[in-house]
Amino acid sequence: MSELPPTTSVKRWFVTTNHKDIGILYTITALFFLLFGGVLALLIRMQLWDPTSQILSGLAYNEAVTAHGLIMVFWFLSPFGFGFANYFVPLQIGADDLAFPRLNALSYWMYLFSGILLGISFFQGGTLDAGWTMYAPLNIPMYTPSIGSTGAVLALFMFVVGVTASTVNFLTSIHHSRAEGMGIMDMPMFTWSMLATVWMMLFAFAALLAVGLILASDRVLGSVYFSATEGGSLLWGHLFWFFGHPEVYIVFFPALGVMLELFQTFSGRRLVGRKWVIIAICLISVQSFLVWMHHMFLTTINLEIKTLMMATTIGISLPFDLVVFSLIYTLIKGRIQFTTPFLFAFGALLLFILGGITGVFLGAIVLDYEFRGTYWVVAHFHYVMFGGATALFGGAYYWFPKVTGKMYDELLGKLHFVIFFISFNMVYFSMFLGWETPRRVFEYNPEFQIYHQFGTIGAFVLGLSFFIMFYNFAKSYVSGEPAGDNPWDYSRTAEWAISSPPPLENWPNRPSYASGKLEFVKDYVPDGGPAVKADADGNAATDGGDSHDEHITEYPYWDKHPSHASIWPFTLSLGLGIMLLGLSGFSESLSFALGDSIATTTMTVSNPVYPILVVVGLIGLIGSGVKWGLEDFYAPPSEFAERWPFEGVEKVKLGMWFFLASDVIVFGAFLSAAIFVRYNAGWMTWEPLTESLPGLINTFVLITSSFTVILALVAAHRKSRQGLLASLGSTIALGFVFLAIKLWEWNHEIFDRGVTINANAHGDPIQASIYYVTTGLHGIHVIIGLVIAIFLFVRAYQGHYMDDERPIEYFGLYWHFVDIVWVFIFPLFYLF
Amino acid sequence: MIDSLILQQGSGWRAQAEVFDEIFFVFLALGTLVGTIVVAYTLWNVYKYRDDGNRSDEKFDAPEVGELPTGQGGPKAKKLFLSFGLSAIVVISLVVYAYGILLYVEDGPDANGDNIEIMVEGYQYGWEYEYPNGHTETGEMIVPADTRIDIAVTSRDVWHNFGSSELRIKSDAIPGDTNTNWFSVSSEEVQAQGGEATYMVECFELCGPGHSAMEGQITVVPQDEWETWYEGTSGNSSNVEGGAGVDGAASIDAAIGGASA
Repeated sequence: MSELPPTTSVKRWFVTTNHKDIGILYTITALFFLLFGGVLALLIRMQLWDPTSQILSGLAYNEAVTAHGLIMVFWFLSPFGFGFANYFVPLQIGADDLAFPRLNALSYWMYLFSGILLGISFFQGGTLDAGWTMYAPLNIPMYTPSIGSTGAVLALFMFVVGVTASTVNFLTSIHHSRAEGMGIMDMPMFTWSMLATVWMMLFAFAALLAVGLILASDRVLGSVYFSATEGGSLLWGHLFWFFGHPEVYIVFFPALGVMLELFQTFSGRRLVGRKWVIIAICLISVQSFLVWMHHMFLTTINLEIKTLMMATTIGISLPFDLVVFSLIYTLIKGRIQFTTPFLFAFGALLLFILGGITGVFLGAIVLDYEFRGTYWVVAHFHYVMFGGATALFGGAYYWFPKVTGKMYDELLGKLHFVIFFISFNMVYFSMFLGWETPRRVFEYNPEFQIYHQFGTIGAFVLGLSFFIMFYNFAKSYVSGEPAGDNPWDYSRTAEWAISSPPPLENWPNRPSYASGKLEFVKDYVPDGGPAVKADADGNAATDGGDSHDEHITEYPYWDKHPSHASIWPFTLSLGLGIMLLGLSGFSESLSFALGDSIATTTMTVSNPVYPILVVVGLIGLIGSGVKWGLEDFYAPPSEFAERWPFEGVEKVKLGMWFFLASDVIVFGAFLSAAIFVRYNAGWMTWEPLTESLPGLINTFVLITSSFTVILALVAAHRKSRQGLLASLGSTIALGFVFLAIKLWEWNHEIFDRGVTINANAHGDPIQASIYYVTTGLHGIHVIIGLVIAIFLFVRAYQGHYMDDERPIEYFGLYWHFVDIVWVFIFPLFYLF
Repeated sequence: MIDSLILQQGSGWRAQAEVFDEIFFVFLALGTLVGTIVVAYTLWNVYKYRDDGNRSDEKFDAPEVGELPTGQGGPKAKKLFLSFGLSAIVVISLVVYAYGILLYVEDGPDANGDNIEIMVEGYQYGWEYEYPNGHTETGEMIVPADTRIDIAVTSRDVWHNFGSSELRIKSDAIPGDTNTNWFSVSSEEVQAQGGEATYMVECFELCGPGHSAMEGQITVVPQDEWETWYEGTSGNSSNVEGGAGVDGAASIDAAIGGASA
């Protein structure tokens, strides 16, 4: 580990793993993407000014529409909320940092580099132009051939990888690091909203990751999922909207959390029916996964399922009703202070009420039939998502004094709100008035021109209003009044109990709510407690419930300080970014001419730049990964933490479980895709492409390797270095045997049977694609497992893991998971 | 409203546009009412309880930094549940009402064998229609009045959406999949429009750079006029780009067809 440089040093911002620094980075980057997406929106609005003249070509207009949607949904809304979450969730729960600080930095850098990749895609022959929903088969190279389209898809993939890391991190933090005495129902509402958000993200983004991987495979490797007429289009629809509907709440909930906080702070009242609000939020999170087909009412879904989806969709408005009423009743009998943050939060509520009511319209199928693809939808989701984001701007004003220590200018803030609120309604209410205009169309019926012109004027005013905010923040940061620790009269949450800005490690002493309110306690040595060491200052540390004495020896507390700096998250993300940039032009730069065998197959490189980028990026990626693994980075688990419902689970193990849960959804999506397409093609018309014997052998090989991992854990536990090396070695050897059989099988399929990723001499080409992509994804998991196993083997050879076998255990969890997946793949591709 | 619907069933079926107008009106009226009440109530209370510095400290229990939330139920939870119950009644009755309308639209009127089935195939960037006799037409769909028209919509390349705002019909056109829908235009309507009713068709799903201009037209003519025209087609295709090439029995605006090419 290295020391964290001061905030004035540029280097700090590349190496920091501190949650507050990363929160600031997220917020500023998200505001940049707000401008980026906003400029694209203004281009769209200019095109809509006059239905008969164009400033953009049809292609360029579609690119603007697509990039605007992608940027605002993915690169602005969520990261803006996560900027606050990074900064304030650890403070609100009384933690020193997030559970995995380096992973947090990794999430940020993945986010930034994925955004840069998206920016670059504009210059790779034009970015994607298939709409942010990317409906199949418009999203495949046959219809969107530019390299930039592939670049945009890979950028989204990278973004999702970062999001997954972030999700695991927040779930582990909130479930594992709450201060003593803070039960799960005691968490501040912003933290509660974020908890619900990350739970939804865990499953929703896994589905997006899967569908993104399939699309990337179609675009880079040439598989034929989404051009398949055996349900390819609908496959995209289902997988995308299974992600897409929870995503609406994923971007809205952080804003809702801010509203719930601000309504309390600026009315001096506690939330009405708090328990019921929390229950409603949980209910919405679950229900959000049961409504996705309302985006597909006009596809060929049968009446029963449509009716069910209508009921769940209109029904999901009920828990929202409860939350809205609770917000309103919280204000009653309060002392409402019309500060800028409150105005934004209150404005957000009004906008959300309108967005919610118009959403109920869309839930009724007959109405949806007519609203589908029109500006009614556009207006509705802007009221919900951007209306929600209005509260996030309130959050920015609310927490600005805490982050900077300076007060913003109240008059300018109110001016911003007034202009924002009026122009917001100009833009989006005019869309309701001209709702019969089809979406993404600029040659519309001139009857509606007056509404669109009104909206365009509003859009420019709306865009300019943000410069009041930027000016306000910049000026206040430089020369604002000192804000003090707690500038608000009725704030409750812990971030207001410490200085502004908070110190690096947040707390003067250990925060505890054990007495019913926040106190900073100096720890004493508990009577008879195990493994307690006191440092020079008299502070003490205990290992909490899950005691690992060896751990203490490895990290003696008295000369070991938590780490806050690592460069490897940055370099690892950079490596992945370069590799993905290379992959975007990969299929255009390389071509294969298939011979009779692997020896006579030739590869032609027409443009060496992209393949070189892939290799360079991959080297950077693996190199950084190894460095990361070797780095001595110390992020101790919180002692005395509230951990319901995961009390007995150690931190890294909990993170591993969350990650595996999301990976279950990824494989679930791949297997569902295989089943869905096969069902559409006629189940019995497909025979297995492969012979079952190699698959059977591989099944035994993998199951045996799971067994040897258990032996490795036992050996490490018994401190037998020989045993550990032997059993880890066997695992690695079995892994290679598996891959060798796999390679033989693929070789046999390709050269002896004429089955390649997009051609099938024995049936539908899509069957071949599914076979290669699904078993390939599993193969990649095996390869990643082997890389980790080899890393562990070398470290074990050097004598590690004798005192702390947990890395072996966590690797084992992953390896077992990969083996279990195979148990599902084997019957589907080899037997039936 | 359900009553009005059931009464209608005996005397002939309403066009989708009428059904839509009814349900849209119901939702709009209810939505405006509920929205106005909620927003007005909220604004009034926000004004009433503004902090004007003159409120007494009695009964006001200001929160403190670092407190844990207390009273999870809260004294106002009762009021909360009353409001929740009211909104539940509104929402559930809307679901039931919307379901009744849905069944109506899904079934459509009894065809009695007089219906005409037309295949609609979307392509970048236009529409092709195939009549039962095999005749194909691009751009403009010519159909008779007072007849149930069943359309089977699909696509030859990417995902499109065949829709006419005025007729209030819409169908996804998905490659490899066929979607059905129906519409019917009365002869009164055709007369009112001067003997030939025309409706613009647009694509409602982004389908590529030409999406904006992907238009077509549905032309409804009196039945006898349509039959004359239809007999003249006798299975010949008029695949000339631009959608013209049909005989002059019906007045066809050839310029509309394939306008998006």
